[in-house]
Amino acid sequence: MIRFSNVSKYFPTRFGPKYVLKNLNLEIPDDRDIAILGTNGAGKSTLLRLVGGIDFPSEGKIISDRFISWPLALSSGLQSSLTGRENVRFICRIHGVKANRETEEYVKEFSELGDSFELPVKSYSSGMKSKYSFAVSMGFDFDTYLMDEIMSVGDAGFKKKCESAISNKRASANIILVSHNMNLIRRQCNAAILLAYGRADFYESVDQAIFRYQSL
Amino acid sequence: MKARSAFSIQRDVVFAIFVREMITRFSTYTLGNIWLVLEPLLMMVLFMVIFGARGRGAYGFVEAPVFIFAAFLPFRLLWSATMRQSASARGGAKGLLEYRQVRLFDVFMARTFIEGGLFVVVGIILALGLMWLDYDPWPDDILLALGYCAVLWILASSFGMLACMVGSIAREVEKLLSMLTMPIMFMSAVFFPMSIVPQQYWVYLTWNPIMHAMELIREAWFGSYISPVADFNYLFAVTLILLAFALSSYRLTWRRIVAR
Repeated sequence: MIRFSNVSKYFPTRFGPKYVLKNLNLEIPDDRDIAILGTNGAGKSTLLRLVGGIDFPSEGKIISDRFISWPLALSSGLQSSLTGRENVRFICRIHGVKANRETEEYVKEFSELGDSFELPVKSYSSGMKSKYSFAVSMGFDFDTYLMDEIMSVGDAGFKKKCESAISNKRASANIILVSHNMNLIRRQCNAAILLAYGRADFYESVDQAIFRYQSL
Repeated sequence: MKARSAFSIQRDVVFAIFVREMITRFSTYTLGNIWLVLEPLLMMVLFMVIFGARGRGAYGFVEAPVFIFAAFLPFRLLWSATMRQSASARGGAKGLLEYRQVRLFDVFMARTFIEGGLFVVVGIILALGLMWLDYDPWPDDILLALGYCAVLWILASSFGMLACMVGSIAREVEKLLSMLTMPIMFMSAVFFPMSIVPQQYWVYLTWNPIMHAMELIREAWFGSYISPVADFNYLFAVTLILLAFALSSYRLTWRRIVAR
């Protein structure tokens, strides 16, 4: 369970504090896969970063007892001058995974990069990068996966593979997904958080949330 | 995923950053990690030539190359490099902070350890080279010299950390630091012992804790040298105060620095 108690987040600007979230009280159950909906700048990524523990609420607390992944976005947290393998090894090390060889081979196979896996990440195209980042995240066992628009690139075949990987993970874990692809959300999520008018509302029904989102 | 103690998380993270920095630092250069030794070596040779050409560098108690080795190596690797690496940790940490277990402090620690390790490794390599040339480069009191070096190292790391904190408010700090590199070197008695400085000028240099560290290292390195001004209590007090100040300002500001 991930619980928000009285969470506010604002960014100081020269017009005064700009609130993204205000007095948010929310409980994300363990068995729900959440879609985060909202217009651009509504605070979707900020919410994800708060859950991911790499940004902090200005007020209030976020309490959780789960292993939460880093927010998986396109090429985030990758060192571009290191090879694909070296980046995986780094992530294994900081997560205390001793069997880094197995994880490396898994990522190499899943990402379908072949020999490019041994080349610096900066030489990857954006499609390759998205495949790679997705494969890296699937190489680790988290309780909750945070995904930020990660499946918007990549070829059709790979997208299918991603979705089946996610479906498998959902058996033992849940996901929190930011996406503008409503079909993907309908298939993979069974609850939603809608960010609008400076509020965040939890919806048990994805269709209802999408309807509200589309009529914003 | 297994739950780990806070200590083992930090150990894993610092080690991971350590390795990553070692791989990336010189990877874009043709000669790669040879630059680790080559860079200080070239600088030292340059200074030896300059001093040799002017007929200076030998101050009666030791040959010029060993004198420069004993002063330039700690100053360059323990003070300049450690301080700069800590001060620029914020830029280096950008991609790393996407992972929740990686904090800015781990980057400070990893970079400080790297510079300390480099000091030892590069020092040994250069000392072996000097031995080859029939000099005696080893410190007379090796433990004492290393102890003083360690204090200088912690002083540099604390100062760099503090510069990083202040730099997050005003970027001008970076400019100021690069402008001050040369003056600090001349004010720290790196290329001359304080014994050749006339007594009436001592007051302009004795406020500088790095100068005290350089003089103390020199005393421990060359048994025959006795510094007229070196004061360990002053150096230690300044280091302790700076360290406390750096750690507390980190604790107060790290969330704001991490936030975008």
